[in-house]
Amino acid sequence: MIIEARELRKTFTTRSRKGSQTVEAVRGIDLDVEKGEIFGVLGPNGAGKTTTIRMLATLITPDSGTAVIAGHDLRAEPGAVRRKLGYVSQAGGVEDTTSARAQIMMAARIHDVADPRQATADVLERFDLTEMADRPGRTLSGGQKRRVAIALGLVHAPPLLFLDEPTTGLDPQNHANLWDRIRQLREAGTSVLLSTHYLDEADVLCDRLVIVDHGRIVAEGTPGELKREVSGDVVTLRLDEPERAAEALRPLAREVRVDEDALRVYVDDGEHTLPALLRLLEEHGIALRSIALDRSTLDDVFLAKTGRSLRDTGAAA
Amino acid sequence: MIRHLVLFTGYELKKSFSNPVWPLFGILQPVLYLLMFAPLLKDLTPGGSTVDALRMFTPASMMMIAVFGSLFSGFGLIAELRNGSLERYAVSPAWRPAIVLGRVAKDMVVLVCQAILVLVVAVAMGVRIGGVELVLVLALMAATGLFASGLSQGLALTVRDENGMSQTLNLFMLPIMLLAGLFIPISFAPGWMRAIAPVNPLYHAVEAGRALFAGRLGDPSIPIAFALFIVLAVLTTIWSMRSLRRIAG
Repeated sequence: MIIEARELRKTFTTRSRKGSQTVEAVRGIDLDVEKGEIFGVLGPNGAGKTTTIRMLATLITPDSGTAVIAGHDLRAEPGAVRRKLGYVSQAGGVEDTTSARAQIMMAARIHDVADPRQATADVLERFDLTEMADRPGRTLSGGQKRRVAIALGLVHAPPLLFLDEPTTGLDPQNHANLWDRIRQLREAGTSVLLSTHYLDEADVLCDRLVIVDHGRIVAEGTPGELKREVSGDVVTLRLDEPERAAEALRPLAREVRVDEDALRVYVDDGEHTLPALLRLLEEHGIALRSIALDRSTLDDVFLAKTGRSLRDTGAAA
Repeated sequence: MIRHLVLFTGYELKKSFSNPVWPLFGILQPVLYLLMFAPLLKDLTPGGSTVDALRMFTPASMMMIAVFGSLFSGFGLIAELRNGSLERYAVSPAWRPAIVLGRVAKDMVVLVCQAILVLVVAVAMGVRIGGVELVLVLALMAATGLFASGLSQGLALTVRDENGMSQTLNLFMLPIMLLAGLFIPISFAPGWMRAIAPVNPLYHAVEAGRALFAGRLGDPSIPIAFALFIVLAVLTTIWSMRSLRRIAG
Protein backbone atom coordinates (compact mmCIF):
# COMPACT_ATOMS: atom_id res chain seq x y z
CA MET A 1 0.00 0.00 0.00
CA ILE A 2 1.53 3.28 -1.05
CA ILE A 3 -1.25 5.52 0.28
CA GLU A 4 -3.36 4.61 3.26
CA ALA A 5 -5.56 7.51 4.32
CA ARG A 6 -8.23 7.39 7.00
CA GLU A 7 -11.00 9.85 7.72
CA LEU A 8 -9.31 12.88 6.21
CA ARG A 9 -11.20 16.08 6.88
CA LYS A 10 -10.66 19.70 5.97
CA THR A 11 -12.85 22.72 6.57
CA PHE A 12 -12.00 26.14 5.18
CA THR A 13 -13.17 29.38 6.66
CA THR A 14 -13.47 32.26 4.26
CA ARG A 15 -13.90 35.74 5.61
CA SER A 16 -15.71 38.38 3.64
CA ARG A 17 -17.71 41.51 4.36
CA LYS A 18 -20.79 39.40 4.91
CA GLY A 19 -19.11 37.54 7.73
CA SER A 20 -17.21 34.31 7.85
CA GLN A 21 -18.31 31.24 5.97
CA THR A 22 -17.18 27.71 6.52
CA VAL A 23 -16.86 25.23 3.70
CA GLU A 24 -16.46 21.57 4.51
CA ALA A 25 -14.25 20.72 1.57
CA VAL A 26 -13.39 17.18 2.62
CA ARG A 27 -15.63 15.29 5.04
CA GLY A 28 -13.96 12.04 5.92
CA ILE A 29 -12.15 10.44 3.01
CA ASP A 30 -10.48 7.02 3.14
CA LEU A 31 -8.09 6.00 0.39
CA ASP A 32 -6.15 2.79 -0.16
CA VAL A 33 -3.82 2.98 -3.11
CA GLU A 34 -1.79 -0.10 -4.02
CA LYS A 35 1.80 0.11 -5.19
CA GLY A 36 2.05 0.44 -8.95
CA GLU A 37 -1.55 1.23 -9.71
CA ILE A 38 -3.16 4.27 -11.27
CA PHE A 39 -5.75 5.39 -8.79
CA GLY A 40 -8.35 7.97 -9.73
CA VAL A 41 -10.38 10.48 -7.79
CA LEU A 42 -13.36 11.35 -9.97
CA GLY A 43 -15.85 14.05 -9.16
CA PRO A 44 -17.34 17.36 -10.21
CA ASN A 45 -15.58 20.67 -9.59
CA GLY A 46 -15.68 21.56 -5.91
CA ALA A 47 -16.05 17.95 -4.77
CA GLY A 48 -12.87 18.15 -2.70
CA LYS A 49 -10.48 16.43 -5.12
CA THR A 50 -7.79 19.10 -5.11
CA THR A 51 -8.06 19.62 -1.36
CA THR A 52 -7.56 15.88 -0.84
CA ILE A 53 -4.48 15.81 -3.08
CA ARG A 54 -3.07 18.95 -1.47
CA MET A 55 -3.45 17.37 1.96
CA LEU A 56 -1.71 14.18 0.85
CA ALA A 57 1.05 16.26 -0.77
CA THR A 58 1.81 18.00 2.58
CA LEU A 59 0.65 21.39 1.25
CA ILE A 60 -2.23 21.77 3.70
CA THR A 61 -2.70 20.12 7.05
CA PRO A 62 -5.82 18.03 7.51
CA ASP A 63 -8.11 19.08 10.37
CA SER A 64 -8.35 15.44 11.36
CA GLY A 65 -7.59 11.99 10.03
CA THR A 66 -4.39 10.13 9.32
CA ALA A 67 -2.42 9.12 6.27
CA VAL A 68 0.61 6.96 5.65
CA ILE A 69 2.31 7.69 2.35
CA ALA A 70 5.10 5.50 1.00
CA GLY A 71 5.67 4.25 4.53
CA HIS A 72 5.80 7.66 6.23
CA ASP A 73 3.23 9.31 8.41
CA LEU A 74 1.86 12.47 6.81
CA ARG A 75 1.77 14.51 10.02
CA ALA A 76 4.85 13.18 11.76
CA GLU A 77 7.25 13.10 8.81
CA PRO A 78 6.13 15.51 6.09
CA GLY A 79 9.75 15.89 4.98
CA ALA A 80 10.14 12.16 4.35
CA VAL A 81 6.82 12.12 2.48
CA ARG A 82 7.99 14.98 0.23
CA ARG A 83 11.09 13.04 -0.76
CA LYS A 84 8.89 10.20 -2.09
CA LEU A 85 6.54 12.39 -4.06
CA GLY A 86 6.20 13.90 -7.47
CA TYR A 87 3.51 16.53 -7.48
CA VAL A 88 1.95 18.05 -10.57
CA SER A 89 -0.61 20.68 -9.66
CA GLN A 90 -3.47 21.84 -11.81
CA ALA A 91 -1.53 25.03 -12.61
CA GLY A 92 1.44 22.90 -13.63
CA GLY A 93 4.22 24.89 -12.01
CA VAL A 94 6.09 25.70 -15.22
CA GLU A 95 7.89 29.03 -14.90
CA ASP A 96 7.60 31.57 -17.71
CA THR A 97 11.05 33.01 -18.12
CA THR A 98 13.27 30.01 -17.52
CA SER A 99 13.84 27.13 -19.91
CA ALA A 100 12.33 23.72 -19.28
CA ARG A 101 15.83 22.31 -18.95
CA ALA A 102 16.87 24.80 -16.27
CA GLN A 103 13.69 24.20 -14.30
CA ILE A 104 13.94 20.43 -14.45
CA MET A 105 17.64 20.55 -13.55
CA MET A 106 16.79 22.70 -10.53
CA ALA A 107 14.11 20.20 -9.46
CA ALA A 108 16.65 17.38 -9.83
CA ARG A 109 19.20 19.24 -7.69
CA ILE A 110 16.67 19.93 -4.95
CA HIS A 111 15.94 16.23 -4.84
CA ASP A 112 19.64 15.34 -4.64
CA VAL A 113 19.54 13.34 -7.86
CA ALA A 114 22.98 11.78 -8.39
CA ASP A 115 23.53 13.12 -11.91
CA PRO A 116 21.08 16.00 -12.40
CA ARG A 117 22.26 16.79 -15.93
CA GLN A 118 21.78 13.22 -17.14
CA ALA A 119 18.46 12.78 -15.30
CA THR A 120 17.19 16.00 -16.89
CA ALA A 121 18.27 14.93 -20.36
CA ASP A 122 16.62 11.53 -19.84
CA VAL A 123 13.28 12.87 -18.70
CA LEU A 124 13.24 15.49 -21.49
CA GLU A 125 13.90 12.71 -24.00
CA ARG A 126 11.21 10.51 -22.49
CA PHE A 127 8.59 13.25 -22.87
CA ASP A 128 9.74 14.31 -26.36
CA LEU A 129 10.81 17.70 -25.08
CA THR A 130 14.45 17.74 -26.13
CA GLU A 131 13.79 20.08 -29.05
CA MET A 132 12.12 22.76 -26.96
CA ALA A 133 14.13 22.18 -23.81
CA ASP A 134 15.97 25.47 -24.03
CA ARG A 135 13.03 27.70 -24.85
CA PRO A 136 11.52 29.81 -22.08
CA GLY A 137 8.42 28.26 -20.51
CA ARG A 138 6.03 30.90 -21.76
CA THR A 139 6.71 30.02 -25.43
CA LEU A 140 5.53 26.42 -25.05
CA SER A 141 2.10 25.19 -26.18
CA GLY A 142 -0.45 23.91 -23.68
CA GLY A 143 0.37 20.29 -24.37
CA GLN A 144 4.14 20.85 -24.21
CA LYS A 145 3.79 22.78 -20.96
CA ARG A 146 1.79 19.93 -19.46
CA ARG A 147 4.54 17.49 -20.46
CA VAL A 148 7.16 19.74 -18.86
CA ALA A 149 4.99 19.85 -15.72
CA ILE A 150 4.96 16.05 -15.53
CA ALA A 151 8.68 15.84 -16.33
CA LEU A 152 9.28 18.24 -13.42
CA GLY A 153 7.43 15.85 -11.14
CA LEU A 154 9.25 12.77 -12.41
CA VAL A 155 12.90 13.78 -12.77
CA HIS A 156 13.77 12.33 -9.36
CA ALA A 157 11.99 9.05 -10.17
CA PRO A 158 9.54 9.17 -7.24
CA PRO A 159 7.67 6.00 -6.33
CA LEU A 160 4.44 8.03 -6.20
CA LEU A 161 3.16 10.73 -8.53
CA PHE A 162 0.21 13.05 -7.86
CA LEU A 163 -1.52 14.42 -10.94
CA ASP A 164 -4.20 17.01 -10.24
CA GLU A 165 -6.50 17.25 -13.27
CA PRO A 166 -3.70 16.44 -15.73
CA THR A 167 -5.65 17.00 -18.95
CA THR A 168 -7.88 19.94 -18.02
CA GLY A 169 -7.60 22.61 -20.69
CA LEU A 170 -5.96 20.37 -23.27
CA ASP A 171 -7.50 19.48 -26.62
CA PRO A 172 -8.67 15.89 -27.26
CA GLN A 173 -5.54 14.84 -29.21
CA ASN A 174 -3.37 15.87 -26.31
CA HIS A 175 -5.64 13.91 -23.95
CA ALA A 176 -4.93 10.65 -25.73
CA ASN A 177 -1.22 11.40 -25.96
CA LEU A 178 -1.01 12.17 -22.25
CA TRP A 179 -3.02 9.10 -21.31
CA ASP A 180 -0.49 6.93 -23.14
CA ARG A 181 2.31 8.55 -21.21
CA ILE A 182 0.55 8.10 -17.89
CA ARG A 183 -0.02 4.43 -18.71
CA GLN A 184 3.70 4.06 -19.37
CA LEU A 185 4.30 5.21 -15.80
CA ARG A 186 2.45 2.15 -14.56
CA GLU A 187 4.73 -0.03 -16.64
CA ALA A 188 7.71 1.70 -15.03
CA GLY A 189 6.29 0.84 -11.60
CA THR A 190 5.32 4.34 -10.54
CA SER A 191 2.14 4.61 -8.51
CA VAL A 192 -0.14 7.41 -9.64
CA LEU A 193 -2.90 9.24 -7.81
CA LEU A 194 -4.84 11.32 -10.27
CA SER A 195 -7.87 13.53 -9.93
CA THR A 196 -10.18 14.25 -12.81
CA HIS A 197 -13.66 15.35 -13.69
CA TYR A 198 -13.55 13.60 -17.06
CA LEU A 199 -15.51 10.34 -17.05
CA ASP A 200 -13.65 8.86 -20.00
CA GLU A 201 -10.30 9.70 -18.45
CA ALA A 202 -11.14 7.89 -15.22
CA ASP A 203 -12.57 4.97 -17.18
CA VAL A 204 -9.69 4.56 -19.62
CA LEU A 205 -6.79 5.27 -17.32
CA CYS A 206 -7.52 4.14 -13.77
CA ASP A 207 -7.02 0.69 -12.32
CA ARG A 208 -9.26 1.68 -9.44
CA LEU A 209 -11.02 4.86 -8.50
CA VAL A 210 -13.21 6.60 -5.99
CA ILE A 211 -16.06 8.87 -6.96
CA VAL A 212 -16.32 11.88 -4.68
CA ASP A 213 -19.09 14.38 -4.25
CA HIS A 214 -19.40 17.15 -1.66
CA GLY A 215 -16.25 15.99 0.11
CA ARG A 216 -17.34 12.37 0.52
CA ILE A 217 -16.63 9.13 -1.29
CA VAL A 218 -19.81 7.87 -2.89
CA ALA A 219 -18.38 4.86 -4.70
CA GLU A 220 -15.14 2.90 -4.93
CA GLY A 221 -13.83 0.12 -7.15
CA THR A 222 -12.44 -0.64 -10.57
CA PRO A 223 -14.22 1.20 -13.39
CA GLY A 224 -15.70 -2.14 -14.49
CA GLU A 225 -16.88 -3.09 -10.99
CA LEU A 226 -18.47 0.27 -10.43
CA LYS A 227 -20.39 0.16 -13.65
CA ARG A 228 -21.51 -3.41 -13.04
CA GLU A 229 -22.53 -2.67 -9.48
CA VAL A 230 -24.84 0.09 -10.52
CA SER A 231 -26.45 -0.83 -13.75
CA GLY A 232 -24.36 -3.47 -15.47
CA ASP A 233 -24.43 -3.80 -19.22
CA VAL A 234 -27.56 -3.79 -21.23
CA VAL A 235 -28.20 -6.13 -24.17
CA THR A 236 -30.95 -4.91 -26.46
CA LEU A 237 -32.51 -7.67 -28.60
CA ARG A 238 -35.01 -7.38 -31.40
CA LEU A 239 -36.88 -10.58 -32.04
CA ASP A 240 -40.29 -11.95 -32.94
CA GLU A 241 -41.28 -13.47 -29.63
CA PRO A 242 -40.04 -11.13 -26.94
CA GLU A 243 -42.23 -12.63 -24.19
CA ARG A 244 -40.98 -16.15 -24.77
CA ALA A 245 -37.39 -14.94 -25.09
CA ALA A 246 -37.71 -13.03 -21.82
CA GLU A 247 -38.68 -16.24 -20.03
CA ALA A 248 -35.80 -18.11 -21.60
CA LEU A 249 -33.16 -15.53 -20.75
CA ARG A 250 -34.28 -14.70 -17.22
CA PRO A 251 -31.75 -17.06 -15.54
CA LEU A 252 -28.84 -15.13 -17.10
CA ALA A 253 -30.06 -11.63 -16.36
CA ARG A 254 -30.37 -9.38 -13.42
CA GLU A 255 -33.43 -7.84 -14.93
CA VAL A 256 -35.36 -8.34 -18.16
CA ARG A 257 -37.68 -5.73 -19.57
CA VAL A 258 -39.88 -5.87 -22.65
CA ASP A 259 -40.12 -2.54 -24.46
CA GLU A 260 -42.60 -2.89 -27.30
CA ASP A 261 -40.78 -5.08 -29.83
CA ALA A 262 -37.39 -4.84 -28.08
CA LEU A 263 -36.16 -6.89 -25.20
CA ARG A 264 -33.72 -5.26 -22.79
CA VAL A 265 -31.65 -7.67 -20.79
CA TYR A 266 -29.60 -6.21 -17.91
CA VAL A 267 -26.56 -8.34 -17.20
CA ASP A 268 -23.52 -7.99 -14.98
CA ASP A 269 -20.91 -8.58 -17.62
CA GLY A 270 -22.17 -8.20 -21.14
CA GLU A 271 -19.11 -9.44 -22.96
CA HIS A 272 -19.08 -12.77 -21.18
CA THR A 273 -22.83 -13.21 -21.05
CA LEU A 274 -23.39 -12.66 -24.74
CA PRO A 275 -22.28 -16.13 -25.98
CA ALA A 276 -24.41 -17.90 -23.37
CA LEU A 277 -27.32 -15.67 -24.22
CA LEU A 278 -27.05 -16.48 -27.89
CA ARG A 279 -26.79 -20.19 -27.12
CA LEU A 280 -29.98 -20.09 -25.03
CA LEU A 281 -31.90 -18.39 -27.81
CA GLU A 282 -30.63 -21.04 -30.22
CA GLU A 283 -31.73 -23.85 -27.87
CA HIS A 284 -35.23 -22.37 -27.61
CA GLY A 285 -35.34 -21.88 -31.33
CA ILE A 286 -36.02 -18.14 -31.11
CA ALA A 287 -35.09 -16.15 -34.20
CA LEU A 288 -33.06 -13.02 -33.58
CA ARG A 289 -33.25 -9.94 -35.78
CA SER A 290 -30.63 -7.75 -34.16
CA ILE A 291 -28.60 -7.49 -31.01
CA ALA A 292 -26.74 -4.59 -29.36
CA LEU A 293 -24.57 -4.42 -26.29
CA ASP A 294 -24.35 -1.10 -24.50
CA ARG A 295 -22.12 -0.42 -21.60
CA SER A 296 -23.17 1.68 -18.69
CA THR A 297 -20.80 4.60 -18.05
CA LEU A 298 -19.32 6.02 -14.89
CA ASP A 299 -21.88 8.76 -15.27
CA ASP A 300 -24.58 6.13 -14.61
CA VAL A 301 -22.70 5.30 -11.42
CA PHE A 302 -22.54 8.95 -10.42
CA LEU A 303 -26.22 9.35 -11.23
CA ALA A 304 -27.18 6.32 -9.18
CA LYS A 305 -25.14 7.46 -6.17
CA THR A 306 -25.89 11.18 -6.12
CA GLY A 307 -29.10 11.58 -8.07
CA ARG A 308 -27.32 13.99 -10.41
CA SER A 309 -25.47 13.47 -13.63
CA LEU A 310 -21.81 14.45 -13.64
CA ARG A 311 -22.46 16.08 -17.01
CA ASP A 312 -25.04 18.37 -15.35
CA THR A 313 -22.62 19.57 -12.68
CA GLY A 314 -20.80 21.69 -15.23
CA ALA A 315 -18.01 19.20 -15.72
CA ALA A 316 -18.13 18.25 -19.36
CA ALA A 317 -16.94 14.79 -20.23
CA MET B 1 19.95 24.14 4.41
CA ILE B 2 22.84 26.25 3.22
CA ARG B 3 23.11 24.12 0.10
CA HIS B 4 19.49 24.83 -0.78
CA LEU B 5 19.96 28.52 -0.07
CA VAL B 6 22.92 28.62 -2.46
CA LEU B 7 20.92 26.58 -4.99
CA PHE B 8 17.96 28.96 -4.93
CA THR B 9 20.13 32.07 -4.95
CA GLY B 10 22.02 30.78 -7.98
CA TYR B 11 18.79 29.85 -9.73
CA GLU B 12 17.26 33.28 -9.13
CA LEU B 13 20.42 35.04 -10.26
CA LYS B 14 20.54 32.98 -13.41
CA LYS B 15 16.92 33.85 -14.02
CA SER B 16 17.63 37.57 -13.54
CA PHE B 17 20.57 37.57 -15.87
CA SER B 18 19.14 35.21 -18.49
CA ASN B 19 17.86 38.35 -20.18
CA PRO B 20 20.59 40.87 -19.41
CA VAL B 21 18.57 43.85 -20.59
CA TRP B 22 16.35 44.14 -17.53
CA PRO B 23 19.05 44.03 -14.86
CA LEU B 24 21.03 46.47 -16.99
CA PHE B 25 18.11 48.90 -16.91
CA GLY B 26 17.85 48.35 -13.18
CA ILE B 27 21.52 49.17 -12.76
CA LEU B 28 21.41 52.19 -15.05
CA GLN B 29 18.55 53.83 -13.22
CA PRO B 30 20.49 54.98 -10.16
CA VAL B 31 23.33 56.20 -12.39
CA LEU B 32 20.85 58.29 -14.36
CA TYR B 33 19.54 59.75 -11.12
CA LEU B 34 23.04 60.69 -10.14
CA LEU B 35 23.89 62.26 -13.47
CA MET B 36 20.66 64.18 -13.87
CA PHE B 37 19.57 64.99 -10.35
CA ALA B 38 22.77 66.13 -8.73
CA PRO B 39 23.21 69.13 -11.08
CA LEU B 40 19.63 70.16 -10.24
CA LEU B 41 20.40 70.09 -6.56
CA LYS B 42 23.56 72.09 -6.91
CA ASP B 43 22.02 75.43 -5.99
CA LEU B 44 20.23 73.99 -2.99
CA THR B 45 23.34 72.65 -1.32
CA PRO B 46 25.51 74.61 1.01
CA GLY B 47 28.79 75.20 -0.82
CA GLY B 48 27.04 75.16 -4.15
CA SER B 49 29.42 72.89 -6.10
CA THR B 50 28.42 69.70 -7.92
CA VAL B 51 30.66 67.68 -5.60
CA ASP B 52 28.87 69.10 -2.57
CA ALA B 53 25.56 68.23 -4.14
CA LEU B 54 26.81 64.72 -4.93
CA ARG B 55 27.98 64.25 -1.38
CA MET B 56 24.40 64.92 -0.32
CA PHE B 57 22.78 62.99 -3.08
CA THR B 58 24.95 59.87 -3.54
CA PRO B 59 24.10 58.33 -0.15
CA ALA B 60 20.45 59.23 -0.72
CA SER B 61 20.40 57.59 -4.12
CA MET B 62 22.08 54.47 -2.71
CA MET B 63 19.40 54.14 -0.05
CA MET B 64 16.81 54.77 -2.69
CA ILE B 65 18.06 51.88 -4.83
CA ALA B 66 18.22 49.71 -1.75
CA VAL B 67 14.60 50.36 -0.84
CA PHE B 68 12.82 50.84 -4.12
CA GLY B 69 14.75 48.32 -6.17
CA SER B 70 14.05 45.58 -3.66
CA LEU B 71 10.47 46.59 -2.92
CA PHE B 72 9.39 45.48 -6.38
CA SER B 73 11.07 42.09 -6.32
CA GLY B 74 8.00 40.50 -4.72
CA PHE B 75 6.15 40.76 -8.02
CA GLY B 76 8.12 37.76 -9.25
CA LEU B 77 6.76 35.75 -6.36
CA ILE B 78 3.16 36.55 -7.32
CA ALA B 79 3.82 35.23 -10.84
CA GLU B 80 5.24 32.03 -9.35
CA LEU B 81 2.28 31.73 -7.04
CA ARG B 82 0.03 31.87 -10.07
CA ASN B 83 1.89 29.44 -12.30
CA GLY B 84 2.12 26.93 -9.49
CA SER B 85 5.90 26.73 -9.29
CA LEU B 86 5.96 28.03 -5.72
CA GLU B 87 3.62 25.23 -4.74
CA ARG B 88 5.86 22.79 -6.57
CA TYR B 89 8.88 23.94 -4.57
CA ALA B 90 6.85 23.74 -1.37
CA VAL B 91 6.16 20.04 -2.02
CA SER B 92 9.82 19.37 -2.80
CA PRO B 93 12.29 18.50 -0.05
CA ALA B 94 13.78 22.00 -0.35
CA TRP B 95 14.46 23.80 2.90
CA ARG B 96 11.43 26.06 2.79
CA PRO B 97 12.98 29.34 3.96
CA ALA B 98 15.48 28.98 1.09
CA ILE B 99 12.65 29.41 -1.42
CA VAL B 100 12.13 32.98 -0.20
CA LEU B 101 15.63 33.69 1.09
CA GLY B 102 17.12 32.79 -2.29
CA ARG B 103 15.21 35.71 -3.76
CA VAL B 104 16.26 38.04 -1.00
CA ALA B 105 19.87 36.99 -1.48
CA LYS B 106 19.57 37.57 -5.22
CA ASP B 107 18.29 41.09 -4.51
CA MET B 108 21.34 41.69 -2.31
CA VAL B 109 23.74 40.63 -5.06
CA VAL B 110 22.03 42.91 -7.57
CA LEU B 111 22.11 45.67 -4.99
CA VAL B 112 25.83 45.39 -4.46
CA CYS B 113 26.43 45.57 -8.24
CA GLN B 114 24.30 48.70 -8.42
CA ALA B 115 26.02 50.26 -5.41
CA ILE B 116 29.45 49.70 -6.88
CA LEU B 117 28.38 51.28 -10.15
CA VAL B 118 26.93 54.31 -8.36
CA LEU B 119 30.10 54.69 -6.33
CA VAL B 120 32.28 54.47 -9.41
CA VAL B 121 30.25 57.22 -11.08
CA ALA B 122 30.28 59.35 -7.94
CA VAL B 123 34.03 58.97 -7.54
CA ALA B 124 34.50 59.79 -11.19
CA MET B 125 32.54 62.97 -10.59
CA GLY B 126 34.81 63.96 -7.73
CA VAL B 127 33.31 62.52 -4.56
CA ARG B 128 35.80 61.01 -2.09
CA ILE B 129 35.03 58.58 0.71
CA GLY B 130 37.25 56.76 3.22
CA GLY B 131 37.64 52.97 3.36
CA VAL B 132 35.85 52.42 6.68
CA GLU B 133 33.05 54.75 5.63
CA LEU B 134 32.71 52.90 2.32
CA VAL B 135 32.31 49.53 4.02
CA LEU B 136 29.81 50.99 6.47
CA VAL B 137 27.79 52.62 3.70
CA LEU B 138 27.62 49.31 1.82
CA ALA B 139 26.64 47.45 4.98
CA LEU B 140 23.91 49.94 5.76
CA MET B 141 22.66 49.70 2.23
CA ALA B 142 22.56 45.92 2.46
CA ALA B 143 20.54 46.07 5.69
CA THR B 144 18.13 48.54 4.10
CA GLY B 145 17.79 46.35 1.02
CA LEU B 146 17.26 43.25 3.14
CA PHE B 147 14.46 45.03 4.97
CA ALA B 148 12.81 46.13 1.70
CA SER B 149 13.20 42.77 -0.02
CA GLY B 150 11.80 40.87 2.97
CA LEU B 151 8.91 43.31 3.14
CA SER B 152 8.24 42.87 -0.57
CA GLN B 153 8.24 39.05 -0.47
CA GLY B 154 6.02 39.05 2.61
CA LEU B 155 3.65 41.55 1.04
CA ALA B 156 3.49 39.55 -2.20
CA LEU B 157 2.60 36.35 -0.34
CA THR B 158 -0.02 38.21 1.69
CA VAL B 159 -1.63 40.37 -1.00
CA ARG B 160 -1.21 37.73 -3.78
CA ASP B 161 -2.33 40.10 -6.49
CA GLU B 162 -0.29 42.37 -8.76
CA ASN B 163 -2.81 45.20 -8.67
CA GLY B 164 -3.20 45.21 -4.93
CA MET B 165 0.55 45.01 -4.53
CA SER B 166 1.34 47.97 -6.79
CA GLN B 167 -1.38 50.09 -5.17
CA THR B 168 -0.04 49.29 -1.72
CA LEU B 169 3.53 50.11 -2.74
CA ASN B 170 2.53 53.37 -4.43
CA LEU B 171 0.64 54.52 -1.39
CA PHE B 172 3.69 54.22 0.82
CA MET B 173 6.40 55.22 -1.58
CA LEU B 174 5.82 58.95 -1.94
CA PRO B 175 5.59 59.85 1.76
CA ILE B 176 8.52 57.60 2.63
CA MET B 177 10.61 59.11 -0.14
CA LEU B 178 9.85 62.73 0.70
CA LEU B 179 10.02 62.29 4.44
CA ALA B 180 13.44 60.71 4.14
CA GLY B 181 14.82 63.79 2.45
CA LEU B 182 16.02 61.62 -0.40
CA PHE B 183 16.00 64.28 -3.08
CA ILE B 184 15.55 67.43 -1.08
CA PRO B 185 17.13 67.53 2.36
CA ILE B 186 14.56 67.56 5.12
CA SER B 187 15.99 70.81 6.49
CA PHE B 188 14.10 72.58 3.71
CA ALA B 189 10.82 71.14 4.93
CA PRO B 190 8.25 72.95 7.08
CA GLY B 191 8.28 72.33 10.82
CA TRP B 192 5.57 69.64 10.91
CA MET B 193 7.36 67.58 8.29
CA ARG B 194 10.62 67.88 10.14
CA ALA B 195 8.82 66.76 13.28
CA ILE B 196 7.43 63.56 11.78
CA ALA B 197 10.44 62.70 9.59
CA PRO B 198 12.22 60.71 12.34
CA VAL B 199 9.28 58.27 12.38
CA ASN B 200 10.33 57.22 8.89
CA PRO B 201 13.12 54.66 9.23
CA LEU B 202 14.56 55.59 5.85
CA TYR B 203 15.20 59.11 7.14
CA HIS B 204 17.78 57.71 9.55
CA ALA B 205 19.43 55.62 6.85
CA VAL B 206 19.80 58.66 4.62
CA GLU B 207 21.11 60.80 7.49
CA ALA B 208 23.64 58.10 8.39
CA GLY B 209 24.67 57.77 4.76
CA ARG B 210 25.26 61.50 4.49
CA ALA B 211 27.28 61.48 7.72
CA LEU B 212 29.44 58.68 6.31
CA PHE B 213 30.02 60.48 3.03
CA ALA B 214 30.93 63.59 5.00
CA GLY B 215 33.44 61.54 6.99
CA ARG B 216 31.68 62.10 10.34
CA LEU B 217 32.17 58.60 11.76
CA GLY B 218 31.10 59.67 15.24
CA ASP B 219 27.71 60.93 14.11
CA PRO B 220 24.91 59.44 16.30
CA SER B 221 22.74 58.85 13.23
CA ILE B 222 25.05 55.96 12.21
CA PRO B 223 24.41 53.61 15.16
CA ILE B 224 20.72 54.59 15.17
CA ALA B 225 20.36 53.69 11.48
CA PHE B 226 22.22 50.40 11.87
CA ALA B 227 20.25 49.32 14.93
CA LEU B 228 16.98 50.27 13.29
CA PHE B 229 17.61 48.51 10.00
CA ILE B 230 19.13 45.38 11.42
CA VAL B 231 16.02 44.92 13.56
CA LEU B 232 13.67 45.77 10.69
CA ALA B 233 15.52 43.51 8.27
CA VAL B 234 15.34 40.59 10.69
CA LEU B 235 11.63 41.20 11.26
CA THR B 236 10.66 41.45 7.59
CA THR B 237 12.83 38.47 6.64
CA ILE B 238 11.16 36.33 9.29
CA TRP B 239 7.78 37.59 8.13
CA SER B 240 8.51 36.71 4.52
CA MET B 241 9.59 33.20 5.47
CA ARG B 242 6.50 32.71 7.62
CA SER B 243 4.24 34.03 4.85
CA LEU B 244 5.21 31.00 2.82
CA ARG B 245 2.98 29.04 5.16
CA ARG B 246 0.02 30.73 3.54
CA ILE B 247 0.62 28.72 0.41
CA ALA B 248 1.81 25.61 2.22
CA GLY B 249 0.97 24.40 5.71
